[in-house]
Amino acid sequence: MPESARRHWRRSAVVLLPLLLAAACGGGDEEETGGGASGQATKVVKIGVIAPLSGDLTATGTGIRNSVDLAIRQANEKNKVPGWRIELAAEDDAAKPDVGAAAASKLSSDAAVVGVVGTYNSSVALQVAPLLERANIVQISPANTNDTLTRGQNPATPDRAYKNYFRTATLDSLQGGFAADYASNEIKAKTVAIIHDKKAYGQGLADSFRGRFEKNGGKVVATETINPGDKDFSAVLSKIKPLNPELIFYGGEYPEASLISNQAKGPQAMRVPLMGGDGIVDPTYGKTAGTASNGDFGTSVGAPPESLDSAKQFIADYKAAGFRDSYSAYGALAYDAANAIINTLPTALGSATAVDDSVRRKVVEAVGKVDFGGASGKVAFDQYGDTVTKTLTMYKVESAEFKPVKTGEFKA
Amino acid sequence: MRQFVQQLVNGTVLGATYGLIALGYTMVYGIIQLINFAHGEIFMVGAFGGLTVYRYWLPEAWADKVWVALPAVLVGAIAVSVGTAVLMERLAYRPLRNAPRLAPLITAIGVSIFLQEAVRLFYPDGKRQQSFPQLISSGTFEVAGVTVAWVSVFVVVVALALMVALQVFVKTTRTGKAMRATSQDPESAKLMGIDVDRVIVITFVLGAALAAVAGVMQGMRFAQIDFRIGFLVGLKAFTAAVLGGIGNLKGAVLGGFLLGIVEALATQYVPQGSSWKDVWAFVVLIAVLVIRPGGLLGERVAVRA
Amino acid sequence: MKLEKPPAPAAAGAAALVVGTLSPWATFAGFPGKMSLGGFPGGARLFCLLLAAGALLFLLDVHGRRWAALATSAGAVAVVVVNLVALVDQGGGAGSVAWGACMSLAGAGLLVAAAWRLPPSSPAAGEATPTRAPVIEIAAIAAALLAVLGAVVWGLRIEESSRFVSFLVFVTFLSIAVHHLGVFSWLGAVFARHHRIALLLAGAVAVAFPFTQQGNAYWIRVFASIGVFAVAAIGLNVVVGLAGLLDLGYVAFFGVGAYVGALLSNAALTTSNVHLPFLLVVLLGGCIAAVFGLVIGAPTLRLRGDYLAIVTLGFGEIFRITANNWDGLTRGPNGISGIPDLALGGFDFGQSHAVLGVTLPGFANYYYVELVLICAAIVVFTRLNDSRIGRAWVAIREDEVAAAASGIDTIRLKLLAFAIGAFLAGAAGTVNAHVTTQVSPDSYTFLESILLVAAVVLGGMGTVPGALLGSTALFVIPEKLRSFQDKRLLLFGAALILLMRFRPEGLVPSRRRRRELREEAPEGVPGLAGATGAAPGGPAS
Repeated sequence: MPESARRHWRRSAVVLLPLLLAAACGGGDEEETGGGASGQATKVVKIGVIAPLSGDLTATGTGIRNSVDLAIRQANEKNKVPGWRIELAAEDDAAKPDVGAAAASKLSSDAAVVGVVGTYNSSVALQVAPLLERANIVQISPANTNDTLTRGQNPATPDRAYKNYFRTATLDSLQGGFAADYASNEIKAKTVAIIHDKKAYGQGLADSFRGRFEKNGGKVVATETINPGDKDFSAVLSKIKPLNPELIFYGGEYPEASLISNQAKGPQAMRVPLMGGDGIVDPTYGKTAGTASNGDFGTSVGAPPESLDSAKQFIADYKAAGFRDSYSAYGALAYDAANAIINTLPTALGSATAVDDSVRRKVVEAVGKVDFGGASGKVAFDQYGDTVTKTLTMYKVESAEFKPVKTGEFKA
Repeated sequence: MRQFVQQLVNGTVLGATYGLIALGYTMVYGIIQLINFAHGEIFMVGAFGGLTVYRYWLPEAWADKVWVALPAVLVGAIAVSVGTAVLMERLAYRPLRNAPRLAPLITAIGVSIFLQEAVRLFYPDGKRQQSFPQLISSGTFEVAGVTVAWVSVFVVVVALALMVALQVFVKTTRTGKAMRATSQDPESAKLMGIDVDRVIVITFVLGAALAAVAGVMQGMRFAQIDFRIGFLVGLKAFTAAVLGGIGNLKGAVLGGFLLGIVEALATQYVPQGSSWKDVWAFVVLIAVLVIRPGGLLGERVAVRA
Repeated sequence: MKLEKPPAPAAAGAAALVVGTLSPWATFAGFPGKMSLGGFPGGARLFCLLLAAGALLFLLDVHGRRWAALATSAGAVAVVVVNLVALVDQGGGAGSVAWGACMSLAGAGLLVAAAWRLPPSSPAAGEATPTRAPVIEIAAIAAALLAVLGAVVWGLRIEESSRFVSFLVFVTFLSIAVHHLGVFSWLGAVFARHHRIALLLAGAVAVAFPFTQQGNAYWIRVFASIGVFAVAAIGLNVVVGLAGLLDLGYVAFFGVGAYVGALLSNAALTTSNVHLPFLLVVLLGGCIAAVFGLVIGAPTLRLRGDYLAIVTLGFGEIFRITANNWDGLTRGPNGISGIPDLALGGFDFGQSHAVLGVTLPGFANYYYVELVLICAAIVVFTRLNDSRIGRAWVAIREDEVAAAASGIDTIRLKLLAFAIGAFLAGAAGTVNAHVTTQVSPDSYTFLESILLVAAVVLGGMGTVPGALLGSTALFVIPEKLRSFQDKRLLLFGAALILLMRFRPEGLVPSRRRRRELREEAPEGVPGLAGATGAAPGGPAS
């Protein structure tokens, strides 16, 4: 071969060979997955979490994740599932449906995942539930409240939407109705202005509030919509003010709610309380709205954690575990959701050596039948996947903090 | 009618913020033909700077003495904004001075994203809203049935004062004249002995200072700030600058107020208007550029060959 | 070929490096890749060992060896540094680093110094790239493509971020080294000479990809997303790369196509019950998007470049806000969900199918549809690039006034670029609606437009491989580095700044663009085009 040609071959060989080697070596390194010590033969089963771990609602999502983590740690310590170690697989959904869908896809393709606790936003759950259903992975949400997730497209004629979907939080139709009754009967407001953010949760809640409020004889003087992320509500509040509502009902989350409350009471000088759903009941609300928020109301699902004995244990354990962030309003519900899954594992896993489709199906079935006392109360699900505990609590802001004022159930 | 006037008031307050930020955009574009995407983030960073001073450096005893607290917060805000702007110009924009338009534009977008994320990740509890001290009382008063908040009056007065001051500066001082000369024709300005690099830095500094003040005022009005306030306000402020005529200071101010008023009125008179609020800025922008590309008061930019 | 005697520092460095890679790097167990055990190059140490092969260059006097040796040894340093950071971070302090890592670092450092001291290579004067027998050249093409496939498949299997970053570093520096040895220009020439076969083989490799996943849907789903993104990126490449129009609201066209696809698919939660055959929907999606492109373009294309950017940004936002608020059509912020899988002639796209003994999950079907779309887009792109229209676009891009003076109808041609770009994006959007089974305004934000622009710019403006490479990188890297999810955008912003500062023409630029952006003298004299390797019109230009 001529000199230059040989040079070429040498060059190419020097370079292509390592690449081919690398490709070939691919198979050998497969056992390197995961960072754990691979000495023992403990089998691993994972519980996933899909919640907002970045963005506006990080505080809530982190609380959910930590509570599930607590349940898992306790289960491992007590060796609740002999021969198996439970691990947490938390994924961020950034409160966005498409990010949540990617997270759900990732978890479904992880063979060791046997159940998922999540999501927080109803709009994200609408994407996640069908994906998890396809993989037969059970999903228990501690916070979704939108009716259609369990009752189907037309909640008036309920039809179970997803066989694998359950929730420990109760429905918007109940929450909105509960809030409306309180507004009519306790606050005795006759006129209300409704503002919502058009998302599945906010709009759904506002609609169920309106339905009940009008049934009680009240009048909705205005319905306005805003975009999440807006900061300046002076124009929309100026529009509502001359209609003289006695109450402003807000369907949406706490970032916007705190701004609306502050601007309504302050620059717009409306001496009118704001009422919202569980989306606004968060410590950040009072902190950012300041003293203007005193007198505002918010409903939340479940009884106040501080009032139940079962919850007190959870709170103490959570503190002892040393998490940096608070358990948020949904901690106890997420903790119960995680335990609902964990309790089914000993039977569902049985003598299996690895998690597979049949194990997942068994878990889905078994979760439907659980019945135990959890941190938030009795944990059991009805034929639609909704929790049988339909307790709701009305909170009122005093000294910039939400304090419970009434706990009860909604009677249609 | 009363509603109309009320919304005019709302719009004017909104417009004051837009105008202050628009000035920064218009000055920078006038001099180096760069849309400084990151200017909205300068506004946000200034607000955070002011907050930092209030939270961590102002002694408790003086926290509620407006005469001490407010200047301290403003100084902090301006210091942080100006520092960021100077760094930005030096590290990100100056090396690309002669590159085709695409490069500095994308760099500016990159800087904008970077600053937002930096605050979100590295400021203590940056992911959440931060409560901002309301140094001016949140009280209101009524004039002919229209509710006006004291803080709104403060905002508009300060904004107008600063805008006038800037005009005077640019018209009468040597540096101001140098700025005008550079924006007309950088090459000739260099030949006249003007240090063009220094003038550019000064332009950035002035724009940043104004944005910082706007940031503090935003914080006081809403009692909270977070890392995302810069983006949309920045876009709208740039729209305002174009509306008035890019490179034209009076145009930026006029554009800002006009835009604020249009937004407020649209919210009132368009059904469900509040959620369409942000669209108007863009519709106005497109309409202006199509009908009268020079803006309302005419643009002042050197044509790059 | 003479063998040289290697300088002492190089030999010592190489020996130290090799010994170091065979020794423990971590003092604690549990670091990915069994790096606490010695005797074999586990984990990232393998990359270092392979890069050590660059030391062989000290023995042979080949053209470009100085830069190649520098690249391989710098790469080795980089890999060690990355792992040092990871070790300290995971192990909690400097005590987690074992002597093997230090040895490798020292060895690599010596190699860098020795490489720096090498004399610059004698220029390859007049050496034309030799033409070998076609069989050998085609085999080389196949080998190169297989190597790429192997690297991709292997890289995707890496779970831990530190090892993945090491892998990326390894590939980068190795590519730089290879580039300086002239392999890429040789490959480029070979591809150009046999480009039909090369494309066929490339297609075969792309088709083979899902088979390597052993039934696991995760990465196939990611690549299905990359596929639609890549079609949109190629469309944007027409607008930005060829015609030089900066469009910052491009995602709106993609969104229009997605909503059209969603509304015409008989979805579960939707506002329209119309259902049309898929191919028709794709065409409709593209056409409606193209119409939007014309509507947006007509009044605005006479504006200056900067203004066009802002106006297109504005349109992007108008689209998003409209989709968010027009409940009657788009169902507002909740969007349209429950979009069913495609079903063409009884073949259900959502189901997995067994082909040649391997189960291909449902997403693989979408992947193949997208491959077809990508091929169509590439054909459109290359035909335009090599046509009078393409040359007219170059003229407009470089000096619009002069172009208009030479009789080019600038407005019409700019509109054409806009419309074609919009059409491609719209078509991609309709497929995307089925892949993601839902469309909502949140997916079509300004940030998405920036991602598209970044993919085109990062990959290389005006080239097809550039758009593909950029799209892949922008999807795969964040997925792989999910542990850095939080810092993802921060790094993205920093990457944009650095990219524009140091390599504005992107990774695989067209030479024309490169010259435009760097304002340097043209390479070589026109007559010796053959000597520099790639012939015009090949995939690299």
